[in-house]
Amino acid sequence: VRVVIAEDQTLLREGLARLFADGGHEVVASLSDAERLVPTVAAKDPDLCVVDVRMPPTFTDEGARAAMQIKERFQDVGVLVLSQHIETTHAVKLVSFAGFGYLLKDRVLQVDDFLAAAERVAAGGSALDPQVVTTLLASDAGQGPLAALSQREREVLELMAEGLTNAGIAKHLFLSERTVEAHVRQVLMKLEVPETADSNRRVLAVLTQLNASQAKY
Amino acid sequence: MVFSGSTVALRSGRWDHGTVRPSSVLAWVLTVGAVCLGVFGFVLGALAGSDGSSWLEDVLGFSAVFASVAVGLLIAIRHEGHPIGWLLLVNGLVIALSGLAAGYAWYAVIAEPGALPGAGLAVRWDQAAWPMLFAPITAIVFLFPDGRLPSPRWRWVGYFALAAFAGVTAISLLDPDVYDPPFRGRVSAPEFLPAWVRADLMLPFLFAMLVSLVAAAAAIVTRFRRSTGIERLQLKWLAYAVSLIPAALLVGLLEAALTGNVDVAGGLSLAIALTAIPIAIGIAVLRYRLYEIDRIINRTLVYGVLTLLLAAAYAAGTLVLGTALGSGSAWATAGATLMVAVAFRPLRERVQDVVDRRFSRARYERLRRIDAFLEALRAGRAAPEGVEEVLREVLSDPDLEVHFWLPESEIYVDARGQPVPDAPGDARLRTPVERAGSPLGMVVHESVDDESPELLSEVVEAAGLAIEIARLRVELRRQLDEVEASRARIVSAGYEERRRIERDLHDGAQQRLVSIGLELRHVQHELGPVANGAGQALDVVVDELGRAIGDLRELARGVRPTQLDQGLLPALRELAVRAPVPVEVSATPDRLPDDVEAAAYFIASEGLTNAIKHARASKVRLEAQRGDGTLVVQVSDDGVGGARGSQGSGLPGLEDRVAAHAGTLELRSEPGQGTTLKAVLPCG
Repeated sequence: VRVVIAEDQTLLREGLARLFADGGHEVVASLSDAERLVPTVAAKDPDLCVVDVRMPPTFTDEGARAAMQIKERFQDVGVLVLSQHIETTHAVKLVSFAGFGYLLKDRVLQVDDFLAAAERVAAGGSALDPQVVTTLLASDAGQGPLAALSQREREVLELMAEGLTNAGIAKHLFLSERTVEAHVRQVLMKLEVPETADSNRRVLAVLTQLNASQAKY
Repeated sequence: MVFSGSTVALRSGRWDHGTVRPSSVLAWVLTVGAVCLGVFGFVLGALAGSDGSSWLEDVLGFSAVFASVAVGLLIAIRHEGHPIGWLLLVNGLVIALSGLAAGYAWYAVIAEPGALPGAGLAVRWDQAAWPMLFAPITAIVFLFPDGRLPSPRWRWVGYFALAAFAGVTAISLLDPDVYDPPFRGRVSAPEFLPAWVRADLMLPFLFAMLVSLVAAAAAIVTRFRRSTGIERLQLKWLAYAVSLIPAALLVGLLEAALTGNVDVAGGLSLAIALTAIPIAIGIAVLRYRLYEIDRIINRTLVYGVLTLLLAAAYAAGTLVLGTALGSGSAWATAGATLMVAVAFRPLRERVQDVVDRRFSRARYERLRRIDAFLEALRAGRAAPEGVEEVLREVLSDPDLEVHFWLPESEIYVDARGQPVPDAPGDARLRTPVERAGSPLGMVVHESVDDESPELLSEVVEAAGLAIEIARLRVELRRQLDEVEASRARIVSAGYEERRRIERDLHDGAQQRLVSIGLELRHVQHELGPVANGAGQALDVVVDELGRAIGDLRELARGVRPTQLDQGLLPALRELAVRAPVPVEVSATPDRLPDDVEAAAYFIASEGLTNAIKHARASKVRLEAQRGDGTLVVQVSDDGVGGARGSQGSGLPGLEDRVAAHAGTLELRSEPGQGTTLKAVLPCG
C-alpha cells in the first residue's frame, strides 16, 4: 500500500512512517501540515492518507477539512484520520464516506489492528475507533432498538460499526463465519436495516441508525 | 446630628454609643453645679431679704445661667473638642458663683451675722471677682464660631488678653479696694499684696483688659468681613443676638420715659437678650437651622419698624385729634386707635416689601430649599444624586451640571459615573466644590444673575454634604463596576488557561507518549520474532503506555472538552453521550462568544454531575436556548429533589461563575419533584 502521512509532530511522523515501513508498506510522502496535502495526493496518487486532525496553523480541525477535500476529489484514495480525543459528531460524519477511517492516535500502538484497519480503509472499507463505537452504543442506554439485542449480537454490532468484515469479526470473536453471518442478519433485522452484501454500506446504515436514535433527543 | 460633615464634627472624638465619656460626665457636673449654686444663692438672697438682690437681677441672673449652661452642655456633649461648649459652661458657672457670693454675703453679713462660715470670702468674691464675669464671653468672641482664633497670628493677642484678665482678677481678689456699702466697715478686707501693686499695676492691667475687649470686637469684625457662606450665617446669628441688647436698653429707656419704671418691659427685654446670646451661639456652633437667621432678622426688622411707625402714628394721631377735640377726650384716643388699626395691614405689607428687597428673600427661599433637600436626604426620602436637580431648580439653570472629582483616577465624572470631557468650547462657568479643604467636584453653570454673586457659592456650600455623598456613591459604583469587570476578566482568563492546558496535554504530552510507543514497537519489530521474552515485555510496556494515554485524554477532557471548539451543541452532546443515564440535549446550534459557551458548558456539566451524584436521577434534560440577548441554560432531572445551595453541590462555585458573567442562577428543587437548575447568561 502506498501511504502519504500528514502529521505535524516530527517524532510521531517518523514513528508512523517507520511503522508502515515495518509493516511492508511504502511511505511515498510525509508532510508536516495540511495545506500541501491535496497537491501531494494529486502528484503521488497514493492508496492511503493518514492525517492528524489538529495541525498548524490553528490546531483545530485542519486535518479533518483536508481529509474531506481529498475524499471529494479522489474517491478511491482511502483516508484515515487520527485524533487525540474521542468525538462522535465529526467521526460519524466522516465515516459516512467509503474508504474512510477515524481512529484515536494511540491505536497505532496496537500495530496489527492498526495496520489491518489502515489496509481496510485503503481498500475502500471503513474503520471507526472502538471507543467511539462504545460511546455511540452507550448513548442509546437500553431504550432504543439496541435493547432488543443479545450480548453476543451487541459485540457483533460493535465490530461491524468498527468496520470489520464478517471474516474479521469471526476471527476476533473466535466464531465461525457462518455463525457471524447469522448474528449479523439478526442485528440488521432488529435494527430495521436492509440487508446488503457491501460491508461498507452496512456500517453506514448501522451508524445512521445509531446517530438517528441519538439525535432524537 | 446636624451638619455632620462639618469641620467641627471631624474634629470631635469618636465614641461608641452606650459608653459614658468622661467629658460628658464633666459637662453634666458643671451644669448641675452651676444650677445648684444659682438656686442656692437665690434662696440665700431671698432669706436675707436683701435690697441688694432685686427681682430684675434674679431674672437676669437665672436667664444667663440657664441659657449658658444648657447650650454649653449641648455643645460639649455633641462636640467634646469644641472649646465654646466648655466656655459657655464656665460662663454659667461663673455667673452662678457670683450670684451665690452675693446672696451668701448678704445673708451671712447683713441678715444673720455670724450664722454662716466664710462670710469674708463671700464678700470678697462678691466685691472683687467681677473681672471673671467678662472672661469667658471675651474668649468666646475670640474663638467664635469654629473654636479657633481667626488666624495663628492672633494667638499673641490671645496670650495678651489672658494675661490682662488674669492680672486684673488676681490683683482685685488678693488686694481689693475698699468694699461698697453696706459691707464697707462691716467686713475688713485683708490685703496680701504690697500697696504699690494696686497703686502702680492695677491701672495698666485694667487698660490691657480694655484693649483685650476691643481686640475681641476687632476679631469678630475681621472675621465677619472675610466670611462667606456658613461662617457668615454663624456670625450673623451672634450679631443678631448681641444687637438685641441695645434694643432691650432702648425699650428700657422708652419704658422709663413713659412710666418711670424700667423693671417690667425693659428688664424682660434684657433678660430675653441675655438668653438669646448663648442660644444664638449654640445655633451657630451646632449649625442647626442656620439659614433661618435671615428670616428672623427680616421679621424682627419688619415688626420693629412697624411698631415704631405705628407708635409714632398713634402718638401723632392722639396729639392732632387731642388738639382738635380737646385734650383727654376719649374720642381722640379712639380715633388714633382706629387709625392705627386701619393702617396696620397696608403698612405691614409696605414695610415687608422694603425689607425683603433690602435683605433678599429669594436667597433665603433658595437656602431653605436646599436645607429641605438635605433633611429629606437624612430621612432617606431623597437620593443624593438629586442634588443636581435641586441646584438646577434653585439657581434657575436647567442645564446646570454637577461633576464629581475622583481623586484615584483624577478625572471628573457625571452622576452616572461617565467621565466628562473638559470641552474647551463650553463657555459656562465652573464653580469648584470643596469640603474640609479637599475638592469634591465642580458645578458647571451659566453665569449667575447679578442679583447676588455670593448666592452661588452659598448655595453650593450648603449643598456640599449632598454633593459629597453623591460623589462617594458615584466612586463606589465605578469601583464596583471595575471589580465586576476584573472578575469577568479573571473567569475569562480561566477559560483561556483551561484551553491552553488542554492543548498542552493533547498536543504535547499525549503525542510524545504515542511517539515513544511507536519507538518501542519499532524496537520490537527490529528484535524480530526470535526474542520472544523481550517482545512480551515490550507488549506489557506499550499496553501500560496506552492506558497512560487514555488517562491523559480523560484528564484533558475534564479540563476542557475539545468539542467546545466546535460549539456548545456538540460539546453538550458529547457530555450527554458519556453520562451513565439517558440525557436529552436541546441546544442552540448558534455560535456564541467563547466565554459564554464555556460558562454554559461548565454549568451544564456541573448540573449534570449533581443530578447523577446527588439527585439519583434516571433521566436528565440539558437545555441551552437563546432568549432576548441571553443564553438560558437549564439542567432538569427527575431525581429526589430537595437540593440545597450548599452541601458540596458546587453551587457556590456555579453562582460565582454565573455572577462573573453578570447572569443569574436559580435552583428549584422541591423534595420528590426533581431538580431544575437554571442559569441566564447575557450574550450580547
